[in-house]
Amino acid sequence: MSDFSLYVNKGTWLNKMHPYTKLLYILAAICIPVIGGKLWLFPVMILCSICLLACGRTLRRALPLVAFSFTLIIVIFLIQGLFNHANETILFSIGILTFYKEGLLYATRIGLNILNMLLSFAVFVLTTSPMELVDELEKSGFSPKFGYIINSVFQIIPQMMKSKDTIMDAQRSRGMETEGKLWVRVKALFPMISPVVMSSLVNTRERAIALEVRGFGRKNKKTFLYERPKHKGDRAIGVFLVLMIIAVTVWRIVSCL
Amino acid sequence: MPVIEIEHLKYKYPNTKRLALDDISLTIEKGEFIGIVGRNGAGKSTLSQAMIGLVPQFYKGAYGGKVIVDGVLADTCPVEEMCEKVGLIFQNPFNQLSGATETVYGEVAFGLQNLGIPADEMHKRVEKVLKQLDIWQYKDRNPFNLSGGQMQRVAIASVLVMQPGIIILDEPTSQLDPEGTEEVFRVVDQLTEAGFTIIMIEQKLEKIAKYCDRIILMNDGKMVDFDTPEKIFSMDDLTGIGVEPPVYTTFCREHDLKRQDGTYPVNLEDTLSIVRNSGKKILLEEKKTEIRKVAPQDVFRVEDLEFSYNHDVHIFEKLNLFLDGRSTAIIGQNGAGKTTLVRLLKGLLKPQSGRIWFGEDDISGKTVAMLADKVGYVFQNPDDQIFKYKVIDEVMYGPLNIGMSEKEARDRSMKALELMGLKGKEQMNPYDLELNERKMTAIASVVAMDTDVLILDEPTIAQDYPGRELIGGMIRELSSEGKLVIAILHDMDFVEKHFERVIVMAHGKILADSTALQVFAQDDVLREARLQKPYITELRQCLG
Repeated sequence: MSDFSLYVNKGTWLNKMHPYTKLLYILAAICIPVIGGKLWLFPVMILCSICLLACGRTLRRALPLVAFSFTLIIVIFLIQGLFNHANETILFSIGILTFYKEGLLYATRIGLNILNMLLSFAVFVLTTSPMELVDELEKSGFSPKFGYIINSVFQIIPQMMKSKDTIMDAQRSRGMETEGKLWVRVKALFPMISPVVMSSLVNTRERAIALEVRGFGRKNKKTFLYERPKHKGDRAIGVFLVLMIIAVTVWRIVSCL
Repeated sequence: MPVIEIEHLKYKYPNTKRLALDDISLTIEKGEFIGIVGRNGAGKSTLSQAMIGLVPQFYKGAYGGKVIVDGVLADTCPVEEMCEKVGLIFQNPFNQLSGATETVYGEVAFGLQNLGIPADEMHKRVEKVLKQLDIWQYKDRNPFNLSGGQMQRVAIASVLVMQPGIIILDEPTSQLDPEGTEEVFRVVDQLTEAGFTIIMIEQKLEKIAKYCDRIILMNDGKMVDFDTPEKIFSMDDLTGIGVEPPVYTTFCREHDLKRQDGTYPVNLEDTLSIVRNSGKKILLEEKKTEIRKVAPQDVFRVEDLEFSYNHDVHIFEKLNLFLDGRSTAIIGQNGAGKTTLVRLLKGLLKPQSGRIWFGEDDISGKTVAMLADKVGYVFQNPDDQIFKYKVIDEVMYGPLNIGMSEKEARDRSMKALELMGLKGKEQMNPYDLELNERKMTAIASVVAMDTDVLILDEPTIAQDYPGRELIGGMIRELSSEGKLVIAILHDMDFVEKHFERVIVMAHGKILADSTALQVFAQDDVLREARLQKPYITELRQCLG
């Protein structure tokens, strides 16, 4: 797969699961704690996602995503802990900064929610081939043109990005300054952008011809190279996830009555 | 039985005045190998695209006459239907990849999926064609990560798998190194034997003359003639319409060695046979390489150069090289280290150890900008640099950047444009020019900078005979002015004809460094570098 995709095929059972089952997991992971309304449900789902990532042997690849989310979570804790409009109960102080219980609880809920969403998406993104997802979407009736756009993002854009370095070298060779003051850098942008755009357009025209002569515009029903083997866990896991969502919903309604 | 019938075909691209195809009529029989030759802009690609219906369906424009392909009118049958009868392969292998698959296997199957072929049949066809083209071993690789020759074979496989009866190849080897070119010709040879109708546009006329049954000669949108290679290349004044006959034909014409039918031979075997039968002892004189008195100081001196892109793979280890004022061609397969070497000379890359001297200056630590007025570098793809809306502005960009006055920049730019055959096109938008002219614009834009050294990366790509002659003339002129011209090239006949010094590289090492005559006499070196001799050298050696 190209550098643009985070997916790596580790040959685990998670890789073999149907993309729709994994999409259903995202839905369940987000809905269960939100509908359930209990804070402890977030760590449960986060733990589930961590276990799945470990099973998929992709836990290490998920760490940069988690690290990135922590920056955001820390900012939320600072703002809510210090300035939430409901802040009343002082929890602790660091120098002149006073943190309140209400704000920190609110921040905990948001932070856990972010982490939960991120990890459940990580389960999907890190274990699902974009090509496979597109194939399954097309089998379900999505337009092949829509599928092509998604696939080409993962294949063609990285190639375009590679050409950017060559273009920069070509312009520097003709004396273009790329270092120095802001104005010098801004001036260097145009000789960079124009060839990137124009060569992309030229390439696009040729690629359009290449697609035409390979029957891309045909109206008949497209066939697929691979029939995805049915994974025996897909159905069971799908049913289990739906039942969990229903159970949490019922539990919440009952507890509200 | 004709498989293609063209009757009075006329075509004009939108927003143009000139007919790109002017009253073309011809028939092509099933199983024939047809070549289309002519200068750039003669209408070769337009004619081939009319055979699959891209002209006029994709390009629009004014269209008249009839093109019947396998009983179907090409201008009305949708291209996506026609692709089952006619396959098209064009110059740039990169742009032919669909960009929708991540493996060679999936790429080859892409067209079959669109045709709605059942999965079992697809697997059978893909496996067969990948093995046929000897790319089965790459089936799980990403097609974008293959070499040019391998990528072009994937493109051919992707078309072949759809089982069209007719295959059109539009200069499929123009962007490939010698080995990639051989790979493609080997495949085309197999296809001919398998009974496909092949239509091939090619500037490598020795190759096309060897394989073709008949050749369509085009000029200014008109079909000049359609006959056997021997008859076509025996025509008088071919160079006047931008076509240089194969070296064998030129040689036999010079020595009045004709075949029984009064034509000149077009390949080596025929030439040798006619020479033998003539009973004459004819020797082909060696080209005298003019050894100019060079300045006592070397222009570049490379000492113990070491370089690698990553720590595992060393490109150069203790490389030593002296470059004087002689025009120098660097030849070798892709991956030999040629481009890396010239990028180091230009300062675009920095050596990990060792030194590069430019005259008395150590340039290892200098920036590209500091060298811009001394060392010019023309990149392979002109579209990597063109960004102005007028040719003259594009050419003046470099001279103005290095501090020339407006007047001096304009004067030098006009001179450079004239040298590259672009006089009169100064006010045109470079993007309205053909690829070969854009390449000339890119060369002119660096020549106008009046640098002491000019480095050219594959200057002859997409050039026809007149274009190659212009570049050859430019190299001679700059050399006579005392400038050092260095070029990376895959066109061995061009190297033989225009360069005083030839450096052969392979695996980051210099295998040979001498005159063209001496280098091309070293069979073992050429074998190790996987290069072929120029046709003229091969002929000379065969004649003894």
